[in-house]
Amino acid sequence: MSNSEPSTLRDLPMSSGQPSLAGETPMSSEESNPIREAIEQAIDEHKVILFMKGTPEAPACGFSARTVAALQSLDVPFAAVDILPDPRIRQELSAISDWPTIPQLFANGELVGGCDIVCEMYESGELQEALQ
Amino acid sequence: MPSPEEIKQRIEAAIPGAQAEVEDYTGGGDHFRATVTATAFAGRSRIQQHRLVYEVFGAEIGGPIHALSLKTQTPQKTPTQ
Repeated sequence: MSNSEPSTLRDLPMSSGQPSLAGETPMSSEESNPIREAIEQAIDEHKVILFMKGTPEAPACGFSARTVAALQSLDVPFAAVDILPDPRIRQELSAISDWPTIPQLFANGELVGGCDIVCEMYESGELQEALQ
Repeated sequence: MPSPEEIKQRIEAAIPGAQAEVEDYTGGGDHFRATVTATAFAGRSRIQQHRLVYEVFGAEIGGPIHALSLKTQTPQKTPTQ
């Protein structure tokens, strides 16, 4: 494991009050989980947030690309987090969401789905409603 | 490396009454697409339906099974009103 703080936490959209792994980690590391807390906070603070491989401009996986395309064609603003730079992001995200695959789309704090569900909802017209 | 047939059988064995069609859609043996029809899905949201299928494979999803694309439905698929 790297001894520097995970670069991706800086990329989480809410990163202004940067959670520092180095500084404030209490002794009881089992109870404190800065990555999980940062993810939960990001889900909480963004109406629509997509956890994906790569970025909306440069998706690193076809499933992430299709999900981004569906969101963009609805013209819905969304935050995006690249899960690739640190494997712990994916681990913690899947633990929170009980969902094993990437991408994962959240709206209003709830998991909407992965690529299959998002694309199915897009095609049926349900997605726009779910993101309101 | 799981085969589409193995994935089909595991889904059908784990979810009562399920019928699965599974294809290897890249030919690489690790990207699969499955259509699963089961009465067990009735009354469940899409997310819950997909979770039922994902649970069959646990940590294999993201591992040996890089991707399992899902479409789930109940047997008598009536149009939603």
